[in-house]
Amino acid sequence: MLGAAASWTLPVFLEKTFFALDAMAANALTQTPTGKDDTILVVLQMAGGNDGLNMVVPYADDAYYRSRPTLGLPGDKILKLNSYVGLNGRLTGLKALFDEGHLSVVQGVGYPNPNRSHFRSTEIWQTASDADRNVSEGWLGRYFDNCCAGADPLVGVAIGEEMPQAFTAKTPTGVTFSRPEQFRWTSSEKAEDRMSAEEFFFRQLNGSADSEDALLAGTEGGSIGAISGEKKTDLSAVDFLQRTALDAQLSSDKVLAIARKYKSSVPYPQGRLAESLSLIARMIAGGLPTRVYYTSKGGFDTHARQIHAHERLLDELNDTLSAFANDLKQQGNFDRVLLITFSEFGRRVAENANGGTDHGAAAPMFVLGGAAKPGLFGKYPSLTDLDYGDLKFNTDFRSVYGTVLDHWLHAPSQIVLGRKFPGLPIV
Amino acid sequence: MFTPLSAQQWNYETAAHLLNRAGFGGTPGEIEAARGKGLDATVRDLVDVSDDFANVLPPAWARPRPIGKIVTQMRSKKRSPKERRERKRAFHDMEGENILDLRRWWLERMLTSPAPLVEKMTLFWHGHFATSVQKVRDGYWMWLQNDTLRRNALGNFATLTKKMSRDPAMMIYLDLEKSEKEHPNEHWARELMELFTIGIGNYTEQDIRESARAFTGYRVNLRTQQFRFSSFQHDASSKTFMSRTGPFDGDDIIDTLLEKPACAQFIGRKIWRYFVEDDPSPETVNAMASRLRAHNYEIRPVLREIFSSSEFYSPHVMRSQIKSPVQFLIQTAKLLEIPLPPVAIAQNAMRQMGQILFAPPSVKGWDGGKSWISTSTLLFRYNFANYLINGDAMLPASDPGKQKGMDLAFGRAAALTAETRRDPIDVSKLIPGDLREKPQELVAHLSDRLFQAKPAAKEAEAFVQYLEARNPDTGDKTMRGLLHLMMSTPEFQLT
Repeated sequence: MLGAAASWTLPVFLEKTFFALDAMAANALTQTPTGKDDTILVVLQMAGGNDGLNMVVPYADDAYYRSRPTLGLPGDKILKLNSYVGLNGRLTGLKALFDEGHLSVVQGVGYPNPNRSHFRSTEIWQTASDADRNVSEGWLGRYFDNCCAGADPLVGVAIGEEMPQAFTAKTPTGVTFSRPEQFRWTSSEKAEDRMSAEEFFFRQLNGSADSEDALLAGTEGGSIGAISGEKKTDLSAVDFLQRTALDAQLSSDKVLAIARKYKSSVPYPQGRLAESLSLIARMIAGGLPTRVYYTSKGGFDTHARQIHAHERLLDELNDTLSAFANDLKQQGNFDRVLLITFSEFGRRVAENANGGTDHGAAAPMFVLGGAAKPGLFGKYPSLTDLDYGDLKFNTDFRSVYGTVLDHWLHAPSQIVLGRKFPGLPIV
Repeated sequence: MFTPLSAQQWNYETAAHLLNRAGFGGTPGEIEAARGKGLDATVRDLVDVSDDFANVLPPAWARPRPIGKIVTQMRSKKRSPKERRERKRAFHDMEGENILDLRRWWLERMLTSPAPLVEKMTLFWHGHFATSVQKVRDGYWMWLQNDTLRRNALGNFATLTKKMSRDPAMMIYLDLEKSEKEHPNEHWARELMELFTIGIGNYTEQDIRESARAFTGYRVNLRTQQFRFSSFQHDASSKTFMSRTGPFDGDDIIDTLLEKPACAQFIGRKIWRYFVEDDPSPETVNAMASRLRAHNYEIRPVLREIFSSSEFYSPHVMRSQIKSPVQFLIQTAKLLEIPLPPVAIAQNAMRQMGQILFAPPSVKGWDGGKSWISTSTLLFRYNFANYLINGDAMLPASDPGKQKGMDLAFGRAAALTAETRRDPIDVSKLIPGDLREKPQELVAHLSDRLFQAKPAAKEAEAFVQYLEARNPDTGDKTMRGLLHLMMSTPEFQLT
């Protein structure tokens, strides 16, 4: 498949590189668990501040209808979970998952001294910091730094145009792309079915002249783990760049090969979120070593004319998550994938004059997966004992993070989050 | 103390190193000119620039407005909700346009300013006194801060710190404008110590509480968009700060902090990391601290000493710094002698590479060094080089099913088509015609330009082999392929 350039011999330096890397990989005695066969976390951000009150609705509370004369959902639009709360009627698929025992709802999640700026509150959720502290590294980045040193860079994959701050790490780990085709080097020359001379020498210069097929075969044997062992932070700048370049090659080839090979047998709805989650499902099916996937869906900042806008958002969420769950079930991977949702804040209890809601505080989180412990956790916050019009949290979001770290990723939450938060029986 | 560089060591490579690090690099012609002028004259031209270069005409829109009134009117209940929404949207769209234009304006300045060190140091201070438009949400305030940083870029650190405490963007970013006599807000006071002067571990929580009281009364006038002092809101009573007691005001606190040895160490280390190397030895940090104190925190003479020192040119320092995304973009434009890409492209590229001007990730600024490079950002740099060389042919085709390469990296690709129009570069400017048939010489020639040094034998060999593989095609396409190949290397990420 190399075309004309294939006759060019592999320079000696390159062979040496491979020998050295093989030796290093062999020396790494501890085998880091990988997403090929271990547990996987998917984080779904609902950006903009999702209206938790109209997602998980306290339908039996008169205060809800008093505060929301036009936005309050009538009883026939509620899928009751118990005698007090129910899901928004659009969430039929999620209700089915709840009934099957694969969805938990954590109520009243937030943090002390809530900030109502999108920018700042998102930063707090992404870094898991206290509201009065600034932290650069993200909570998942600290997981990569502390628990995945030497792991394949594909240990974290964010689907989107920009790396989420949650991934910020001391040693940059994890890859970000919107589509697999974007996560590759593009040659100046557009060669249809063969490798251009430019690409051939690009691969040499960046330490990998292997063909894609060989690499795909490699992924089926487990993690390639190009950078096993040594910590990348200790390397000189040029060595660090060379290894990252090799990593990039290997990761890109792996991602592309899997994206080409695996297709979903389950229909997904239209939309970016569905594209992202079906891609994640394909990556999981393909056995990528990824342990944490991240993706985001915007549009939840519903200050005006909320009712239909929010319904459309929840429809998309419901249909996409249902398809994702079905896809994983068909693959036989549902039991080792856990998806959590979060939003930077909920919305004000009382609706505003524009048929919308303003920035609020506490809100529910969903935890979805074959291994999720079903039910409602935390307490629904009082709708009358408010903090400047907002719900008071009773479960710190870091309790959810901590539980997921300790009991799902088997990583010490105290080290990653800086202290121990009370756990929740969600997994 | 640093050892001066001897005249014999001044050559093409050391001259290139100085232009790269103290500015954003230069063309072979500019490097040659600096070599000819000699070290002292080149350092003088960089450091002893006239203040006129910091006195820059702002973008046309960057004027103060009675913002308080504008916002009140926008929210006025006299208007229908629809009208309010439309006005709000128009206002935010305009701010979005302004900040985009501000990014363009600054990048242009970095590329074309006759005083590159002023811009490079302004960028240093932007990362130091990091402030984000995401919270400030006003282009004028961001410009005003940038202007203050530029005017003081090579000046006195004490003066600059005091100006930052009165800078509206900073005051909004760190909640200082909201700090009240009865409820002092500690955000600014904490970051002033932790990130701006002495560093963590050198102060107590009591120091934060007491100094927060000293900075009360700092306000922003929403009619003029300027700083104002409200003696009514200022807590003039006695404070105990760093074991001293008195009715200190904000400037007293800053003066006390700058007397601390930790401050000169903290700032000295940071400047050295920015210009010289990631991990300075303790001796180097001490030397920097003593130079800063000796010069009473005047930045200009300290930079002159750094750029004249042999330490700055030591072999382990040269070509060992990972280019920041800003450096990557500006230096590449200089090396290829091309204009900057359209601002929509530039902004998206900066986002993908991890450095958005006026929107640092947090008040800690950018970590720099290895943190710039991940598999994603490195591949992006390679593909961005492809766009810079080959033009918008590298952007997605109109058929969305066939989109390849950089498509979503640049977002909303279809809508941007008009803005992203760009021709392939004119290689004849970079490659003398007679070299096209001489692979070895051609690679050496382009290495001087792109790396300002000879590449390692293995790299040089791969470049030559590429040309041989393309033989007999020595047309522009092959030449552009070679340029892209040379830039798609770890080596090109270093300066």
